[in-house]
Amino acid sequence: MSNINFNKNSVMAIGVLLVMGIFPLFVDSAWLAIGTTFLVFAVVAFSQDIILGRAGVFHMGHAMFFGLGAYTTAVLNVHFGWPILATWAPAVLVPLVVALLLAGPIIHLRGDYLLVATIGFNIIFIQVLQNNIFGITGGPNGIFGIDVVRVFGVELFEQTHMYYMAFILLGITLFIMKNLDQSKFGRAMFYINKDDVAAQSMGISIRYYKLYAFALGAGIAGAAGSMFAVQYSAVSPEAFDVISSIMFFTIVLVGGSASLPGVLLGTFVMFVLPEVFREFETARYLVFGLAMILTMILRPRGIWPVKFGNIPAFLKKDVK
Amino acid sequence: MSKKLLQVQDLHVSYGAIDAIKGVDLYVNEGEVVTILGANGAGKTTTLRTISGLLKSKGGSIFFDNQDITSTSAHEIVAMGMSHSPEGRRVFATLSVEENLMMGAYTLKKYDKKTLEWIYEILPRLQERKQQLAGTLSGGEQQMLAIGRAIMSKPKLLILDEPSLGLAPVLIKVIFKAIKQISQAGVTVLLVEQNAKAALKLANRGYVLELGKITHEGSSEDLLNSEVIQEAYLGKKK
Repeated sequence: MSNINFNKNSVMAIGVLLVMGIFPLFVDSAWLAIGTTFLVFAVVAFSQDIILGRAGVFHMGHAMFFGLGAYTTAVLNVHFGWPILATWAPAVLVPLVVALLLAGPIIHLRGDYLLVATIGFNIIFIQVLQNNIFGITGGPNGIFGIDVVRVFGVELFEQTHMYYMAFILLGITLFIMKNLDQSKFGRAMFYINKDDVAAQSMGISIRYYKLYAFALGAGIAGAAGSMFAVQYSAVSPEAFDVISSIMFFTIVLVGGSASLPGVLLGTFVMFVLPEVFREFETARYLVFGLAMILTMILRPRGIWPVKFGNIPAFLKKDVK
Repeated sequence: MSKKLLQVQDLHVSYGAIDAIKGVDLYVNEGEVVTILGANGAGKTTTLRTISGLLKSKGGSIFFDNQDITSTSAHEIVAMGMSHSPEGRRVFATLSVEENLMMGAYTLKKYDKKTLEWIYEILPRLQERKQQLAGTLSGGEQQMLAIGRAIMSKPKLLILDEPSLGLAPVLIKVIFKAIKQISQAGVTVLLVEQNAKAALKLANRGYVLELGKITHEGSSEDLLNSEVIQEAYLGKKK
């Protein structure tokens, strides 16, 4: 055991994972549902962070990819009778392909223009769902009666099952994010984010890596969407509207772009805290909005900003 | 007759409705140092950025190493052997000097140790500071780093955009000496400068760009001795 390098961060990460791992043992079902949704939203927030925080693409239509995953699972299961397990791959692939098709023509746009274009996509997506296109999206009411996950004849229907499935999904996402940081893709993202002209003159294809980020982010969001559909056994359009997109966008900025603990903390602050203060009803959103404004003024790089970026370890000792 | 490494024909570039480059013809022979002179807003940076693919041209053609690169994208052009050190240095501030240099070899499978050592040889200041964060370097040192980073990809053609911008005269000398050494090592150089005298002393040939058009061209000696050039760019009165 002594050869494992325990630094402060990994101790903290293990601590957080442990707390989240035993969380279901101590709470009632309402809180367990909130916990599950927190895990799902955290996955979506991380996938948003790949696009917004790492690739620096101002994408404010992420709820669309989340929704595409959810609806893929819902439609295939309810209308075509596919088992939930079989819908997982399409729930990742459909948003991924749609992301490539939609982002391809607009990825060269600069920040604010791209932001407007992605909001436009999200609005169209909601319209398509509400108008019950091809008679399969169920209109404004959505789709009900989504099956539970069955593995070898065992039905995973309890809230605790949902929680641990979401927990595993978050674990996989964290594993991908961690590897991303150390990959060629992660480094290219870092350079593009810091200075796109310099990155291009070094021979990095901005278009390729931004599309890569988009596709990866959309695929992960789709997986989270599938989980979301199974958790509530229903999907409806309003969960995936522009307001939700704004929330995911804000989670990344409030928490800290490209910072793993930051995005997790952002999800907690933006999603769980409002649930804690549910008894204050709508007044909580007043405080909440103020908190968002204050965060941006006092901590413009997020509550838990990423330190510096990729600096070699030997330099970190001197630069604090 | 030496080979034309870069040939630009009737190049047109516009920003929206405004035409920035209105029909530029120029060429660079293998092994040469060629400079483009001109005042602010003449279109020098635009020309370079179009050549290296950072901007799209509206008309005309660009040939590099006998291949048409008019609509080739920037990252592919780098891989073909053209390296552009952009205006304003643009080093990665939170990376160390050596990491910035290694990053310059992004298009190669593995960075070349010899090239790195050679850069440290012609720009010894970089070696002294190799573990320092690039953001903490002085302007001149950052410029050295930008040049070093650009040659890490072992280019055939090195494009430098105003390397002397905002530097002290002592440092300008160091930079120009390094460019000379790079050229002597066989790298072709296309250099944009406002410091006309220093640039012409170094270059074999030069072009003068005014409002998006080439108004004069010739060998460096001819340009240095030309009265029009002396008056407009070298600060001499009749």
